[in-house]
Amino acid sequence: MSSSHNDTPTDILEHVLLPVATEDDALATATALKPYEPEQVTVLHVVEKGEGVPDKTPVAQSEEVAAESYAAVRTVFPDADDHTAYSRNVVEAIFDAADEVGASAIAYRSRGGGRLMQFLSGDLSLKLVTNAAIPVIALPRADSDE
Amino acid sequence: MSDDELAKDLGLVSAMTIGIGTMIGAGIFVLPGVAANAAGPVVVVSFVVGGLIAMVNALSVSELGTAMPKAGGGYYYINKSLGPLFGSIAGMGDWMGLAFASAFYCIGFGQYLAVFVPLPEVAFLNPIQIGALIAGAIFVAVNYIGAKETGGVQTVIVFILLSILTVFAVAGFFAFDYATLAGADGLAPFGTGAILPATALVFVSFLGYAKIATVAEELKNPGRNLPIAIIGSVGIVTVIYAILVSMMLGVVPWPELSQDAPVAQAAQLAFPESIGPIGGVAAGAAAVMTVGALLATASSANASILASARINFAMGRDKIVTNWLNEIHPNYATPYRSILVTGGLIIVFIAFLGRDIEVLAKAASVLHLIVYALLNVGLIVFRETDAPEYDPDFTVPLYPITPILGAVLSLGLVAFMDSIEIALSAGFVLVAVVWYFVYARGKTTQKGVLSDYISDREEQLPDQVVNAADAVAPNGAGGPTIMVALANPRTESALITLASALAQHEDGRVLATHIATVPDQTALETAAANRDRIDATSESLLDTAKADAEAFDVPIETKTILSHRGIEEVFDAARTNHADTVVMGYGGTQFAGGRAEGTLDELAHDLPCDFLVLDGQDLDLSDVLVPTAGGLSSDLSAAVAKALEETFGVAVSLLHVVDPGEEESGRQFMYEWAAEHGLSDAELRIETGDIEATIERLGRDYSLVIVGATERGLLSRIVRGSLVFDVIETLDTPVLLAERPSSRSLRERLFGRE
Repeated sequence: MSSSHNDTPTDILEHVLLPVATEDDALATATALKPYEPEQVTVLHVVEKGEGVPDKTPVAQSEEVAAESYAAVRTVFPDADDHTAYSRNVVEAIFDAADEVGASAIAYRSRGGGRLMQFLSGDLSLKLVTNAAIPVIALPRADSDE
Repeated sequence: MSDDELAKDLGLVSAMTIGIGTMIGAGIFVLPGVAANAAGPVVVVSFVVGGLIAMVNALSVSELGTAMPKAGGGYYYINKSLGPLFGSIAGMGDWMGLAFASAFYCIGFGQYLAVFVPLPEVAFLNPIQIGALIAGAIFVAVNYIGAKETGGVQTVIVFILLSILTVFAVAGFFAFDYATLAGADGLAPFGTGAILPATALVFVSFLGYAKIATVAEELKNPGRNLPIAIIGSVGIVTVIYAILVSMMLGVVPWPELSQDAPVAQAAQLAFPESIGPIGGVAAGAAAVMTVGALLATASSANASILASARINFAMGRDKIVTNWLNEIHPNYATPYRSILVTGGLIIVFIAFLGRDIEVLAKAASVLHLIVYALLNVGLIVFRETDAPEYDPDFTVPLYPITPILGAVLSLGLVAFMDSIEIALSAGFVLVAVVWYFVYARGKTTQKGVLSDYISDREEQLPDQVVNAADAVAPNGAGGPTIMVALANPRTESALITLASALAQHEDGRVLATHIATVPDQTALETAAANRDRIDATSESLLDTAKADAEAFDVPIETKTILSHRGIEEVFDAARTNHADTVVMGYGGTQFAGGRAEGTLDELAHDLPCDFLVLDGQDLDLSDVLVPTAGGLSSDLSAAVAKALEETFGVAVSLLHVVDPGEEESGRQFMYEWAAEHGLSDAELRIETGDIEATIERLGRDYSLVIVGATERGLLSRIVRGSLVFDVIETLDTPVLLAERPSSRSLRERLFGRE
């Protein structure tokens, strides 16, 4: 929203796009990113849409989750911008958002889970790292949680 | 707003298919045999009567849905209009009604599955129940994981169904024999008196249209598409039912029509054994019909489970059920608990009531009919009270006849149910009422339009009415209203934290307002046109506020106010919203906007309520210092300190500055003052010397200093920027200024409103 330094950023941490899912995830992701001191952070929540069928979760409820997640990130990065996307395809929405806000990198934290879980939820990690046009930073998972 | 638009991705066809898809499963594939067996060929009339009753209600749902395109549908409208007592009944009715309907669809699924696959009998469960349980478990699992159907699946299923049924209708037309339809005993073998009881039975096949309303927030252009989809789908299915049921009864004599898989049986007879060289046509057609029936009942059950999660969400948002139920799954992003609970109910209903499909069908209908009756009453309340926020794009024709008719017909149809379903439903209504008084009444803050209307006209209405309204009114909002005037995102968190702590301490609520000041040169209308931009800032600010307050589990409402005036608007808003305390930032008091000082002065001299002004951005509360010399405003500082002590466990120190030699009397005063304000455990500090210098010296070691205004009009001085209160400027520690207006009566004071 605010920045437009699109032209080949020299610093990968100049403007980090931080896709988060829930409040807990947001806090953990932001905390994991914190030590690397990114210059600017935009936190993104993708509201999954049915596009033709009713959504699995009421939109207003997803938006509440988004607001909570933003607030959680702001406890770590008080100046973080936020961005809400609505899409059926989460990964595509992340790329679109990165483009829109002019992010220099996408930082995310894998939410783990076994193979079955990853398969069922579409293995976003794989799609994210294989199709991205800008660097994707996989943040370390603190082993203390979950 | 553009975000809003993005969230809307259901077009007219999608909406229509949700309605038709949900309804058609029951009416065509499950019920014809059972219903015909109860009424004979006149059952066709029963279907049409059911369709008419549904249509009257569909008109009302359309009006309400276009006025409030919100998740939750019927529950939401009733809670808004008639208040949370009826809201609880409607929510419970809708929810249980959907669970019964889902159980019914699952049984229907089981009936057709049993045609295909031999299922075992286990304990007290018959094969159909086993099939239904398997189906129920699968639907719940699918919704739990939130596996996405590819965009058009629902639409494709409905179109496949409609084509199958068209072919079926054509084949049936040729096989149709009026003599078969009329049967041996005439069209009404049980007399015309059997029509309405049969309507009561088949009404379950019209329940789908209201599900369109539960996803109204996702519809594109709801003002147009919602009424068309709702009314259209009811009209279409009524016609389909009339044609296909007549046809089935013209192919298979009604006493022989299968109670379990009527469509498969009728197809077997309607289609020729072979067409030319191709044999097995009839058997093939029956198989196709069975697949169609499985698809239809599956999509009905699925849509019902989805809809019930939305009702739970809407109820949770109004605090009628605990938000625990609406927790989102961290990986699947689905409201998994709500789905599991609903799924559990479905399983129980299938297992214990599933032997008699009629009980499930009618229980679902009774509960929905109660909701429809309430919803029609709600519509009348909205119209009669002229609720300002009520502005439907679609209005029912022939008001007030239509909603009255809707309510009367809905309740009238309940009378034709059997006592067991009525007793079951009455049981759930009772549970809802008990639930409201035991749990929800103390939590919810949502008052209905009706109770606002009554309390606004207390003098004109009979006492009984007012008392009755008071007796059931929610008391979740009984505590004080803490209004936060937000302007700067940087101070948002600190202000909301303070306000939330106060609200939590006093069981009050937080009202976060963002007063967007518009330059005098810009007309408010123009500003309203620019609203998108203002809204975006406002929304993100208020959303954060909301999240912050929710961390404290206090009810919060948010409001954006466009105004030419800054600080004056704060006073106005405090008055109109009956705020008991206003919390604002020091910076916020600065934008006086070049107004005449005189008026401002007057304003600030006549405070509408308690004011707390915070100088500082970050609150990291560990200990607070409260200098006091007694007086109204320091009562307020004490109350705030007490709230912080209880909420955050901060250590409170009280400071009293006296002239040298008066330490002893000072200590005595301090001791009594602390006891009076419930702060006996606070550290007492008696100091001598200059007051401001002392506060400054000691304040450094604290995380917050709460200063009560020692004289009237402190706020007005801050507002004019002529404050000679050096402490604020020199101290790095955040300072909270507290001013309590002296004009208010003791009773009215913030923390003693009762």
